[in-house]
Amino acid sequence: MSLVEARGLTKIFRRPEKDPGLRGSLKHLVQRRFKEFRAVDGIELSIEAGESVAYVGPNGAGKSTTIKLLTGILVPTAGTVRVAGAEPHTDRMVNARNIGVLFGQRTQLWWDLPVRESLALLRDMYDLSPAFYKQRLERLDEVLGLADLLPVVARKLSLGQRMRADLAAALLHQPKIVYLDEPTIGLDISVKDRVRQFLRELREDGTTLMLTTHDLGDIEDVCERIVIIDEGRKIFDGPLAQMKDRFARVRRMHLQLAEPTPAEKLAERLPDVEVIAGDSPTEVTVTFDRFTHTAGQIIAGVLDVVEVGELHLDEPAIEDVVRKVYAGELLR
Amino acid sequence: MRRTLRIYRRSLGAHLRAVLEYEADFWVLIVAGLLFQVLNLIFLSAVFAHVPALNGWSYPEAVLLAGTYGFVNGLGPLFFEGTWRLAGKINHGELDYPLTRPAPVLVQVVSGGIGLHGVGDLIGGGAMIGWGLAHSDIDWSPARIGGALLLLASSATILLSLIVVGNAASFWVGGNHPVFAMTLIRTGDMAKYPLSIYGVAVRATFTVLVPYAFISFFPASWLLDKESAWIGLLTPLVALYCAYLARLVFRHGLRRYDSAGH
Ligand SMILES: Nc1ncnc2c1ncn2[C@@H]1O[C@H](COP(=O)(O)OP(=O)(O)O)[C@@H](O)[C@H]1O
Ligand SMILES: [Mg+2]
Repeated sequence: MSLVEARGLTKIFRRPEKDPGLRGSLKHLVQRRFKEFRAVDGIELSIEAGESVAYVGPNGAGKSTTIKLLTGILVPTAGTVRVAGAEPHTDRMVNARNIGVLFGQRTQLWWDLPVRESLALLRDMYDLSPAFYKQRLERLDEVLGLADLLPVVARKLSLGQRMRADLAAALLHQPKIVYLDEPTIGLDISVKDRVRQFLRELREDGTTLMLTTHDLGDIEDVCERIVIIDEGRKIFDGPLAQMKDRFARVRRMHLQLAEPTPAEKLAERLPDVEVIAGDSPTEVTVTFDRFTHTAGQIIAGVLDVVEVGELHLDEPAIEDVVRKVYAGELLR
Repeated sequence: MRRTLRIYRRSLGAHLRAVLEYEADFWVLIVAGLLFQVLNLIFLSAVFAHVPALNGWSYPEAVLLAGTYGFVNGLGPLFFEGTWRLAGKINHGELDYPLTRPAPVLVQVVSGGIGLHGVGDLIGGGAMIGWGLAHSDIDWSPARIGGALLLLASSATILLSLIVVGNAASFWVGGNHPVFAMTLIRTGDMAKYPLSIYGVAVRATFTVLVPYAFISFFPASWLLDKESAWIGLLTPLVALYCAYLARLVFRHGLRRYDSAGH
């Protein structure tokens, strides 16, 4: 059996249906009406021990809700979850020791306590021995630079510091599987790099990772498998490379022209294609959809207007795919 | 159970250390708590300036009663302050992390803060109890002392349980503030006066429906050998019932928890 197994996982939220204004609110008090909303809809997911999975999709796709279902925070409306053999929302205590959780938007540190006290409380909850605790702190200090943060009260930490301390809190008990919901949100580049480096090391240590992110770098650096969801449904699940082939529709061609030519003139000849002038008047970049045009058609079109000196075709970028995923533009 | 208590103690200890960092606050809070008890006392004195006894309760006895209520009320902020943040936590989805940790959520919630004004209540209430006892006519025996301590512990259990029940109502009521719990606990303030001054409806409600009367009135009645003193001996049973109820309500509430969208 896989480490994580979700079958037909579904979560329906009930939202109050109110007419606007005070009158609507009063009416709602007497006559309660609710609208059902499927945030997660029949997700099938298996994660093997040691895998690292990127879980991506546009805002509101149901990523965080899935994580809350997998961690036992929410009770599924339908379907089943097993994590290391336990059902998270019923075997809470058992499950808790197997997993580490981080929601990038919120901290698990106690707001008015120094980081050191928060970590010590977690040590008590997870029954960590003094020796193990000390060794873990040293290890986490090495990779996250924790020592400086220990005496600081959580509310006084900067975002980057907070995220580092939160990572330490989530990983203190050395969980088998770690769920990270937007672990790099709002961080500047240097902290981001540090966090990614840390996640890579974690993966190399054999920890299973599942992370949601809006950041392509996170995905390319850390994950080998990607799961895409939209409107609560899974629309892709496979290796990163395969996703590129399947969804990377956009191709970019850089052309060196024999004589200066305005981009508009080429655009006239090439409808439905984006033509952008380059640094010099003899350079243009053409961006096209490989499902509607071939590279040959583009070259032929340009040759109708002007001779071409050199050309260069960009590799399909995962960036384009993921950007489209987040813009909700992916073809279904 | 021992493990749970240890986690509770450590968490409370950490918050205590954090609060003690702000020494100025520390004294302000304690004085505030004390002042509240002094106000109680002034009010009682004003009443007794006009009447020698209140439905059979002398001034020292009434002070003992109010002191007991004040003392027990000081335990809430000291030991269960975190409970008052439950509504906000539910509303902001802040039970997410506690639900992923290997410790009871109720314990994590309850120990999530400390209110030092409780110390003022304890000191003020304690002084009133002491003075009241010294000026009342009590037939002391080892059994009476043991009984008094048991009733005090039971009365504390009842109040803390009511705090949990009231705040757990937020799982159903929603909203950012514990309006229901506030109302519930502040209504209980009526129980710091001899219950016999109220009409039958209030007395019945406070005895059966919401057992405020068992927080101070019945235990004190037993100690002072008042009319129907035996009811005071039911206090431990009522306490067990309330503690059970608190656990039950919290558990059911937690099942309704739906986090918050992020
Ligand atoms: N606690 C909740 N109550 C009601 N609706 C919710 C709740 N949590 C999330 N939702 C809704 O479910 C959908 C999915 O949310 P979420 O899983 O947070 O999306 P994502 O993390 O992919 O951006 C959103 O439309 C959101 O508004
Ligand atoms: Mg999210």
